[in-house]
Amino acid sequence: MSLMASKRMRSRLTKGFVYTFLVMASAIVIFPYLWMALTSFKPIEEFFTYPLQWLSKNWTLSQYAGVLEDPKFLASLRNSLLVSSIVTAMSLVLSIPAAYGLTRLRAPGGKSVLVGILSSQFFPPMIFFVPFYIILSKFRLLNTIPGLVFAYLSVTLPICTWMVAATFRNIPRELEEAARVDGCGDIKTIFEVVLRMSLPGILTAGLFAFVLAWQEYIFALLYTTTTAAQTAPVLLFYYLGQHQIDYGRLMAAAVLLSLPVIFPFAFMQRYFRQGRGEGSIKG
Amino acid sequence: MLKGRTKFIKGYLFATPLLVVLTVAVLFPALYNLGIAFSEYNAASNSWRYAGLQNFAKLWNSPLFWNSFKVTLLWVVGNVSLQLIIGLAVALALNSIIRFRGPFTGILLIPWISSFVVVAILFIWIYDPQMGVLNDILLRMGLIEKPVAWLASPPLAQASLIVANTWKFFPLVMITLLAGLQDVSPELAEATQVDGANWLGTFRMVIFPTILPSISTGVLLSTIWAYNSFTLPIVMTGGGPLRATEIFGLHIFKLAFDAFDFGAAAAASLVLFIQIMIVIVLYLKVVERD
Repeated sequence: MSLMASKRMRSRLTKGFVYTFLVMASAIVIFPYLWMALTSFKPIEEFFTYPLQWLSKNWTLSQYAGVLEDPKFLASLRNSLLVSSIVTAMSLVLSIPAAYGLTRLRAPGGKSVLVGILSSQFFPPMIFFVPFYIILSKFRLLNTIPGLVFAYLSVTLPICTWMVAATFRNIPRELEEAARVDGCGDIKTIFEVVLRMSLPGILTAGLFAFVLAWQEYIFALLYTTTTAAQTAPVLLFYYLGQHQIDYGRLMAAAVLLSLPVIFPFAFMQRYFRQGRGEGSIKG
Repeated sequence: MLKGRTKFIKGYLFATPLLVVLTVAVLFPALYNLGIAFSEYNAASNSWRYAGLQNFAKLWNSPLFWNSFKVTLLWVVGNVSLQLIIGLAVALALNSIIRFRGPFTGILLIPWISSFVVVAILFIWIYDPQMGVLNDILLRMGLIEKPVAWLASPPLAQASLIVANTWKFFPLVMITLLAGLQDVSPELAEATQVDGANWLGTFRMVIFPTILPSISTGVLLSTIWAYNSFTLPIVMTGGGPLRATEIFGLHIFKLAFDAFDFGAAAAASLVLFIQIMIVIVLYLKVVERD
């Protein structure tokens, strides 16, 4: 065998090894979700067979029916949707002008302010456990949607501002100056040039805020106790705390909770792939 | 001068609403927490008074605090090293292929956008001693003879939690390192291979030095998130068995909402905060150097 051929052979072997490794890693990543989905369609009797029956013989939607007929779960979904929407809207409304002011208007010290804002997203949520509790109880906001919104903003605002500022920085300054020459004021420039150019980035930031709020669990656990403001993740925790854990129902609820995240994921991926790992989720 | 000042004012005018909300929702609570850490609550008069270092002294003398200190250290070291090894392996694999790189990267990012509660529930279900699929697989393969209670014995529970948390977090390290790998010069890597270096030699001489900044970024980020953990342990073990998984976050939670000792909870959160601040400062130094 010539040297060339043996080299090609070896590189083909390496390729095969690398793809096998990636397929296995992907399988490990997908498996828990696959298992969740399989469980959610199983009737309860099949849970106790030994060895485990991986594929159900009697596929059923009864677990989903059980979850969707539970008024507590529906209330928690409504609360989650409400809180996440309000938090997303407020995060964008606050972070867009701020990012514009700090980057496009070249506010002196703007960079340091942004870095300060970014660092605050690394703060451990535990430093807010007690002060948030005292503040919320003083203003009678425990167990309310506005109380949760307040707590969630501390999570979404820093990362939203950072993401929007990063998009703004990529807009060529010439475009903005051209708009100004055409007689556009600040507000008009924002709407006509900056926002239009950075729409994908802003959409990503908004989706990110929504997903963060949708999945938020810590503050929801600490500051809600009744169906008035309890969000879906907390309700899952209560399903888990029941004496006889109904795993089928739990998995069906987990599937329903994960579904709304699939669509935003397609957008957010692009952001992550650029290696901006800072953007993150507290937990 | 005047122009500079208008610019200053205008720039911050736009930022004012955000800065006000951040002050109310982040800065003020953080300072309030600082105050509470040095205060004592008097339930009879419903008032706070300055207590000096009393809360910190209480922690210093508490075996439970030191337990959580030890557990947290193990948790951070375990998570960071496991995430680095797996993240690096997957990033190198992704970097060496061209076909299907996008789809593979997309799939491998799934854990990163998963909800913590859902991840916790998935792993409780997988680890379940009787109905769990992990025992089922291992039994079928003949690797174990009887079902293992993954979350019931102290060292095993900690290890099982670290595995679950690594599943959730390795994509962060992976994507950070993958970005760093784009800077590796293919010519240089090829040159070492022509010189007869094997893969390990190329990695040591070319790849590793180039991605070193990304490695430090990845390590620092995963350290921060490991310190900040809360949801996975509280849902999966509640800190047990025998407080073997009671990391700082859980200990602070218990101090605040089980014992209602707000002062001690605030003090403990400051101890955690200081540790994380050191890591953040290191992180910003690394980022700035890039």
